[in-house]
Amino acid sequence: MKFKPLMMALLASALTLGLAACGSGSNGSASSNGRKNEGSTNSQTNSGTKEDTSKKEVKITFQNIYPDPTDPKYKMIRTVVANYEAEHPNVKIELDSLNTDQQKVKLKTQAASKEVPDITIVNPAAQMKPFVDAGLFAPLNEMVEKNGLKGTFQEGILDYYTFDNNLYALPDGNNIAIVYYNKKMFEEGGVKVPTTFEEMVGVVKQLKAKGIQPMAIGEKDSWTGSFLFMNILLRTNGGPGFLQDVIDGKKTFEDPAFTEAVNAFEDLVQAGAFQEGATSFDYNAGENLFKTGKAAMYFMGSWATGGIEESTANENQNVGVFKFPTVNGKGNPDEFMLAPGSAFAVSKDSKHLEETLDFLNYFLVNYPKEMFNLKGAIGLAQTVDGDFKAAGYSDMAMEVLNLFKDVKGGDLAFDNTMNPGTAQAHLSSIQNLFVSKTDAGVVAKEHQTAYDENKE
Amino acid sequence: MNVLKVSGWKIAAFVLPCLLIYSLLVFVPILVSFYSGLLDWNGIGAAKFIGLKNFEKMLTNDSIFWPAVGRTMLLAGVSMCVQLPIALFIAILISRYVKKPNFLVSSYFLPVILSVVVIGQLWKTIYNPASMGGMLNQILESLGLNSWTHSWLTEPKIAIYSVIVVALWQYLGYHILIQFTGIQNVPSDIYEAAKIDGASGLKADRYITLPLIVPIFKISVVLSFIGSLQSFDLIMVMTGGGPAHATEVVASLMYNMSFLSMKYGYGSAIASFLVILCLAATIIINGLFSKLDKRYS
Repeated sequence: MKFKPLMMALLASALTLGLAACGSGSNGSASSNGRKNEGSTNSQTNSGTKEDTSKKEVKITFQNIYPDPTDPKYKMIRTVVANYEAEHPNVKIELDSLNTDQQKVKLKTQAASKEVPDITIVNPAAQMKPFVDAGLFAPLNEMVEKNGLKGTFQEGILDYYTFDNNLYALPDGNNIAIVYYNKKMFEEGGVKVPTTFEEMVGVVKQLKAKGIQPMAIGEKDSWTGSFLFMNILLRTNGGPGFLQDVIDGKKTFEDPAFTEAVNAFEDLVQAGAFQEGATSFDYNAGENLFKTGKAAMYFMGSWATGGIEESTANENQNVGVFKFPTVNGKGNPDEFMLAPGSAFAVSKDSKHLEETLDFLNYFLVNYPKEMFNLKGAIGLAQTVDGDFKAAGYSDMAMEVLNLFKDVKGGDLAFDNTMNPGTAQAHLSSIQNLFVSKTDAGVVAKEHQTAYDENKE
Repeated sequence: MNVLKVSGWKIAAFVLPCLLIYSLLVFVPILVSFYSGLLDWNGIGAAKFIGLKNFEKMLTNDSIFWPAVGRTMLLAGVSMCVQLPIALFIAILISRYVKKPNFLVSSYFLPVILSVVVIGQLWKTIYNPASMGGMLNQILESLGLNSWTHSWLTEPKIAIYSVIVVALWQYLGYHILIQFTGIQNVPSDIYEAAKIDGASGLKADRYITLPLIVPIFKISVVLSFIGSLQSFDLIMVMTGGGPAHATEVVASLMYNMSFLSMKYGYGSAIASFLVILCLAATIIINGLFSKLDKRYS
């Protein structure tokens, strides 16, 4: 290889020029930004009249968790956005649709660099606290007063999104945990709907003996098992508030209520309730077992109603629901695991805060109406006007709606109550019960250790 | 070796631009992540400087960390001691006995091109229990080997091996391709000369092929080792690190700590550990191979 010096020089200069071009490229964008800013300041100085500002082009980024075209919410969000854009030609709503897990990670990454999208999705209570503490969200107190939006929300639901009297997010749903069951499979197994947890374990054993898969669960996403476990704890504790008592220092995880719940949960697992290899089924795969009629029972939040309605398992209204029963005679079946939904929050540093708040207000005023029309209005956080029966909602949907009327309080999921570090330790500890029988005392100790380590 | 007669500043003119970009994109983030490892930080709010406490907890007081390191090393070890020799063996067979080898090499290479998510889902269905249509268990049952069936991905003692098998299977073709290319580049006149001297077949491989593909083999070793240390996606798709951390490796632990437990500082400490591990591994492997190189050159 022999390079001619001239060639070398040329090449080198080409390289550096290329780099310089890159540099000027970035400079270019900066200067164009500068120009944009100039433009906007110009329009502001020229404006004076309101007409001019209303013509300002506005782009709002709306991060959401409705990427699935078969989900009514997918249609709903696009309809409402299209209507709003038609009424406000200067506003462009950009949808960033991700699945739940992706959205969680993306938002955390964005939050780390303080670049939260105009509208984003957060989970209630403990899960949104870090974001609120970091001062990333705009308070929505004034916004909910407009157009009577506040009045559409159910009593008390907004408390889960309120910190120091400031409301930071508005939920898309409010659900309760229930047990769905397949009537035909119950008949085949010769079992009746259980009224106590002990009967439920009996039902499991009987179904198993008949070669019918008793329950389905998607335990790869470990919150599913935790949700069921917490429902047992809600019973053995004789009512809600166990985790709050732990946080307040009134109880520890080594409390008898907790170990009793672990034992009851293990009874269910050891009776062979769940499908083989449950911990490698993700949420959808677990739910599909029930939807395709391969499992007789399914414990889940009522948000699953819509999907189960449309499934093959529910042909000829074949799916029924029942409340989670008492455990060892303790607890009240009218107390449910409550799942205040994921919620819309607005970035405090949004460049178009006013327009964003206006849009979100419009969106949530129209949301229940749109969802009612799409037959997806079960388990909303807002009251829905309309005759569900007349609108063609199924028997099962009506049953679920009726269960909602019985709700006398309850508990939130573990990770909505506890800090993330303890929650992860808990999830893994409960997941472990699916694959190896563990002494309840050991499980309690694992929890307490994790809690002491992660206490704030 | 040809030495270019080029002055230092010309070399600098060529190297500097790349070096600048590289250090901005690689070294700076590594340093930042080392610094983040010194913080008590959830990744969102205010961070608190706590010195080496994260590292101290990681190395001395974390029941999940060392087993995860162990699993990562297990994967790396199996890759080097099982996958690479098999790949070499197949590469030699192909280059010797196959007339038109391209198709065969390509078909071995196919899994490398497929997305990890596809591979993970595919193998999940293979590993499923027989009642759920798991192919592997159904085959075992039809052979009357019922006692051999397992819940491959959910038994804590077995799950990690099941995942390792998939990782090996996926990248086998990659290493076959690398080593096959290396073998192709050995001039055929050497073999002809060896034949005259009475070395053919295995003997020729032992004294000609192996020594001559050492540099290529080194690339394979480094890639497979570093790849194993960073393995993450397959674990996430197949088991998510579960059941109860039974398949957790260093990279998945780092992710879980940073993004699920919201201990960003602690996650960064694990990331720093991973960087040091990769560096050390590369240096050691290079050292070993330079000895080999000396012996053969």
